[in-house]
Amino acid sequence: MSLKKFSELFGDLDSINSTNNKIEVLKNYFLSNDPIDNSWAIYLLTGKSNKRFISGRYLKNLFSQIYEYPQWLIDTCYLKVGDSAEVITLLLKNKTNSRKKKLSNISLNELLSKTIPALSKLDEEEKNIEIKNLWERLPEDNHLIFNKILTGTFRVGVSIGLITKSISKLINIEEEIISHRLMGDFKPSIDSYEFLINKNINLQELNSKPFPFLLANTIEDKIFKNSINDFQFEWKYDGIRMQLIKRSGNVSLWTRGQELVNESFPELVEKMSHIKDDFVLDGELLVWNFKEQIPFDFSLLQKRINRKSPHRSIQIKYPIIFISYDLLEINGKDIREFKLENRRIELEKYFSKWQIKTENNISDIFKICDLIFPKDWPDALTYKEKSRENNTEGLIIKKKTSTYASGRKKGFWWKYKVDPMQLDAVLIYAKGGSGRRAGLYTDYSFALWKDKELIKFASAYSGLTNIEIKELDKWIRKNTIEKFGPVRSLKPEMVFEISFEKIQNSKRHKSGIAVRFPRITKWRKDKKIYDADSLENAYALMKKIP
Amino acid sequence: MRTKREYLIRYKDGNLYCELADIWIDPSKPVKKALITHAHFDHFTFGCEEYISTKETAILLKERVGDNIKIKTFEYGEEFKINGINISFHPSGHILGSSQIRFIFAEEKWLISGDFKLQKDQTCKQYEIVKTDYLISECTFGLPIFKWDESNKIANDISKWITNSPEKTSLLFCYSLGKAQRLLNEISQTNYKGNIYSHGSIHKMNNSYRELGIDIKDTIKIENKKKIDELKGSLILLPPSLSKGSYLKNFKNIQTAFASGWMSIRALRKRSGYDKGFAISDHADWDGILEVVKKSEAKNVFFHHGDSEALSKYLVEKESINVFLFGD
Repeated sequence: MSLKKFSELFGDLDSINSTNNKIEVLKNYFLSNDPIDNSWAIYLLTGKSNKRFISGRYLKNLFSQIYEYPQWLIDTCYLKVGDSAEVITLLLKNKTNSRKKKLSNISLNELLSKTIPALSKLDEEEKNIEIKNLWERLPEDNHLIFNKILTGTFRVGVSIGLITKSISKLINIEEEIISHRLMGDFKPSIDSYEFLINKNINLQELNSKPFPFLLANTIEDKIFKNSINDFQFEWKYDGIRMQLIKRSGNVSLWTRGQELVNESFPELVEKMSHIKDDFVLDGELLVWNFKEQIPFDFSLLQKRINRKSPHRSIQIKYPIIFISYDLLEINGKDIREFKLENRRIELEKYFSKWQIKTENNISDIFKICDLIFPKDWPDALTYKEKSRENNTEGLIIKKKTSTYASGRKKGFWWKYKVDPMQLDAVLIYAKGGSGRRAGLYTDYSFALWKDKELIKFASAYSGLTNIEIKELDKWIRKNTIEKFGPVRSLKPEMVFEISFEKIQNSKRHKSGIAVRFPRITKWRKDKKIYDADSLENAYALMKKIP
Repeated sequence: MRTKREYLIRYKDGNLYCELADIWIDPSKPVKKALITHAHFDHFTFGCEEYISTKETAILLKERVGDNIKIKTFEYGEEFKINGINISFHPSGHILGSSQIRFIFAEEKWLISGDFKLQKDQTCKQYEIVKTDYLISECTFGLPIFKWDESNKIANDISKWITNSPEKTSLLFCYSLGKAQRLLNEISQTNYKGNIYSHGSIHKMNNSYRELGIDIKDTIKIENKKKIDELKGSLILLPPSLSKGSYLKNFKNIQTAFASGWMSIRALRKRSGYDKGFAISDHADWDGILEVVKKSEAKNVFFHHGDSEALSKYLVEKESINVFLFGD
C-alpha cells in the first residue's frame, strides 16, 4: 500500500541472492498491494524511470545548508559510500526528529505522481523547504528510496526477466505472454497493471509491441565439437539492437531497452513506411561508413541516440543504417517458431522483393546482414580475429535449427567476441620498465576487491599510449606509499579496464585465479576505486567460460 | 610546543610506547613489558616478557593462547606505579575485560581509549568517562555516515531474518570473541526461540564468558556431521574466516549474513559476498567518538586505528580542539 512496503521490498531484493526467493518476494508484494502501486513498483524495478529531479550534488549542498555540515565532510563520506542518495540517507539518520505529522502511509503512487513531480514546479527556495519537510515527515526507513528517486539513481538487482517470472507465477500464464506485455513503454497506471495480469489473452493487444528479444550467450568450448555446418555466422555489430516493426501500416522502432525511438531516426521510419508488406525485423542500427561499407564507431552513434527530430544536417553527418538479421513476423504471421535457416530464406526473399518493388531506394538505409562461411572452427577463429578490421566486435554464431525464443536461451545464439573478458581493476604496484621504457614506471600490477581488501590479480605492461604512460609515471611518483627495490606500492586510486583472453583457477596466486594475456584497454578516470570489480566478478567470468 | 619525542606517550615502530616507563601498549612485536587493552588478536603478540591487563582480559587471553604467558592483572580503577608513573585500567565497553588505560605523570593525564563503544552491551562493563589532558583515541568509524542503531533493533532484525526463512539454515558470521557473545545475549531476548549453534572457537569463548559471570545463552557446538534437517530454521554463529572456502559445503540451503559496522554501507555489503549485513559494531560510531572527546575534556587529541583525517579536521574547525597527527 505504501512507500514503506516498497522500501521493505527494496531491502529484501537487495539482500536476497536466490532467484527463486526474489520471485517469491515479488509475488507476495504484488499480491498484497493495489494495482496502481504495483504498476509504479514495476516501473521503478525495471529501470524505466530514471528521471532526475535534482542532482546528487544539489542534494548534498542542500543537506550541507540545512544541517550546517561542511561540504568537504560530505564529500569525504561520499568517497566511502559512492552514492549521493545513500550518503545523505546515512547522514540524515537521527537528524529529523521533528514533531511534524509523519507521512507513514504515503502511497508509492502519491509520492511518484504528485509529491515529487510537484517539486519541479517550485522555485529553488520553495523546493528546498519542501525537500526538508519531506525528509522530516517521511519515516527514516524510506529516506533511501526517496533520495534515490529524487536523484534518478534508483537501481536494484532485479532483471525484467524476474518481474516477468513473478507475474507469470502470480497469474499462471506463460512467461512469453507476460514478457510480451511488458515490452514497450510501460506507463504506470491501474490499466497497465491490470492489462499485465489479465488472465484472458487477446493477441490483438500486443499489436504495437515488439517481441521479447533473443539474446546471445558467451561462447562455450563445447560448441566447437559440433559440425561447423550446423551454424550460421554473422559479424557482431556494436550498434543499437532493435526491432523494426511495421504493422497495419505503422512503423515503430523499438530498442532492446524497450524504448520507442522513432523520433531519433525519422529518415529510417520514413523509408521503411514505403514497403508494402507488414513485418517485424530484428537487427542492429549503426552509423555507417558508406565508402568503406563498414560501421563507424559507437561514439558516433551516440551523437544520434539521444537527439530527437535531428536536423537534416545531422542526418547527413551521421548517416544511419539498419542491418537486419532476422524476420520474426510477416504480414501478421508470427514465424518465430520457424527454424533460423528458414527464417533466413524468408528474410532474403522479402528483402530482394522490397529492393525491386519499393519506389524509393531503401538500400541506402536498410540492408540484411551478410553471412560468413568459415570452412572449419580454426577458420572461424581467423574471421573473429579479423573482425577489428571491419569495426565489428567478433562473431555471432547461430544454430541453424533454432527457433526465436525469448531471453538468453542457451544453445541458440552465441557471441564470440574479440575481447571476451574485461574487469575494472585498481592499480596497486608499479615497477620500472627496461630498454626503451627505462626510467619510467611501465610495469603495473592490478587488484580486485575481496571484502575490504584489494587483492592482486594481474600484471600488465601494454595498452597505454606514450602520453598516458608519462602522465601515469608522474602520478606514481607522487603517490608512492612504499618502495621495495624497483617496485613501488601505490595509493589505491586509479582504475583501469583490464582485458584478457582466458581465466582459470590457480593455486599459485593469492587471488586464486590466473589470466592469460592481460592488457590495459582503458584508463577509467571516470571510476573511483570503489567502482572496481571484485574477485567474485572474476570468478563469475570463470563460470561462464570453461 | 613540545616535539613528538617529548610526549609521555608516542608512536614508535608503529606502536604506542611510553619511554619513561619503558612500556608498550598492545605491541605488534615482542617487547619486554606490554599493557594489553583487550584480548583480540590484533592487539596481542606472542613473545613479550611480561603482559599487564585486567583480570578478565588475562583469563580470555590464556583461554585463547594457553597458560604459557606471564601476565600480571589489575582491577578496573586500581592504580599501579611504573617508574613513578601512575597507571590504571578503566572500562572501555568494547568487549569483556576491555579497557582504556590512564597514565598520570607530574600532574599530566594521558588516556589511551583502546577500542571502545558507548552503546549498551550486557556482556561487558559500560564505558567509563575518564577526564584527561591528552587523549589517544581509536577512530575506526570516524565518519558521520556511521551511526549505530540500538542493538536490540538489530537483534530483532536478525530474529526476523531467521524466522522468515524457516526452510533455511541461517549462518551469521561474527568475531568469535565479544561480538558473538553480545549477539547471543541480544538474540536470546528476541522472539527467536529456535536452536542456536556455534563454531568451536565461539563456543569456547561463550564458556569463558559464563565462567566470568556473564549470562550467555547456551549454544550447541556445531559438529561437521550434523544432519541437514536438524539445522533447518536454526541459527549458526561462525567466525568470518570460515565464510569463504569449503567449510560452507557442510551445509545445504543456507542464507548468510555478516554482523559488522561496515555493513551499514550498501557497496560494502554488496561486495562482502554475504546475503545480508547487520550493522552492529563494538566500536564507537561518529557521535560516540565526538562524545568521548568532549566529555574527556582533553585539550589535545591524537587518533589512531582508522582514517582520522576527516574527524581531525572536523574537531579543529568545529570544536577548536587541538588534534595532532601521530607519527614516529
